[in-house]
Amino acid sequence: MRDVEHLVRVAGVFVLVISAFLIARHFLVPETFGKYGHYRAAAATEMGSLPLRYAGEPACLRCHAEQAKAKAGGGHRGVHCESCHGALEAHAQDPKAAQASKPGEAQMRAFCGSCHAKDISRPAKFPQQDLEQHNPGMPCSQCHNPHNPKP
Amino acid sequence: MLSRRQFLKTAAATALALAGRALAAPLAAAEKFFHDPPWKRKKPYWGYAIDTTKCIGCGRCVGACKTENDVPREPFYFRTWVERYAVRRDGETGVDSPNGGQDGYPPLRDPQEVAKSFFVPKLCNQCEHSPCVQVCPVGASYKTEDGVVMVDRKTCIGCRYCIQACPYGSRYFHPVLRVADKCTLCYHRIHKGLRPACVEVCPTGTRMFGDLSDPQSAVTRFRETERVLVLKPEMGTEPKVVYKGLDKEVR
Repeated sequence: MRDVEHLVRVAGVFVLVISAFLIARHFLVPETFGKYGHYRAAAATEMGSLPLRYAGEPACLRCHAEQAKAKAGGGHRGVHCESCHGALEAHAQDPKAAQASKPGEAQMRAFCGSCHAKDISRPAKFPQQDLEQHNPGMPCSQCHNPHNPKP
Repeated sequence: MLSRRQFLKTAAATALALAGRALAAPLAAAEKFFHDPPWKRKKPYWGYAIDTTKCIGCGRCVGACKTENDVPREPFYFRTWVERYAVRRDGETGVDSPNGGQDGYPPLRDPQEVAKSFFVPKLCNQCEHSPCVQVCPVGASYKTEDGVVMVDRKTCIGCRYCIQACPYGSRYFHPVLRVADKCTLCYHRIHKGLRPACVEVCPTGTRMFGDLSDPQSAVTRFRETERVLVLKPEMGTEPKVVYKGLDKEVR
């Protein structure tokens, strides 16, 4: 083969550029990238390790079996504890340090009304009351046990 | 110098070798050739369902999501929200979502004109062909092996292209973290066997969550017994969130 010097030089440039690219790639691409797909696998793990704020129903049952039993027999059986009592993971971890909250008598009509106030947008079969006609001013818990609210 | 024959032989050999490598590419590349849904092949594969005929617009889901996921409390950052539709007799439809429905809704100004009114909870549809994953310029938006679409907070550069691309408006720009953010199906909860926060606190059973690859899960049974629709099917995004009771006015 004669007169290939110019080709060798071009090939050399290619080799240099490609190796520079491969070296840079080795340092720049994150470690877990490509493990499960075109993303950094550690990102999914990071999202999976975020802190919990809501404990979930089984957590409450461990200590509050009595309330759970009362609830299971009534209209609120599908309503999870944290729906009314707020986020309870902190309470589940350390019951004394983080007390659970429950709506006070003053806020009760507004609180229960947030679900049960009469509203034409709500499904007709859902139990609703016109709160201005239905015992106005009285806190709901006077007649309805929140855990088993028999009307 | 190479002869023509030699050159052609070398080129053919190289082409064959490259083709062989391409065929051995990971299964994900060949994903699009499978006709059955991914949850027939991958376990678990998370799905979600919403029964809008049960939604009472209490807004518990919106508040729970904000608490669970540290979503800023200002009234325009939502991973999930509830819309109220009021279809009037003259054909006009009004939609409102005051603070996402978190604090309930003000009474309709003209209830006597309203023919029907209902609530539609919305969230990220965890699309199978999500446009948000496709457009991300840096690969920060991705879909996991179990079907959840998420954002890699360390890689996102905050260009907001995915927020623009989502046809459902599910994404927002996190003001503190300065990255795109969205519903992750409470990824940190579902791996511990818990349900997403919105599903936990929903008092009426409107929201359902489960493993699509499990024939006994709530979501699979819902999909197989109820008449369900998805939002904006014409977009070709193949959402995984199915709705019962969608009206033609729902956008």
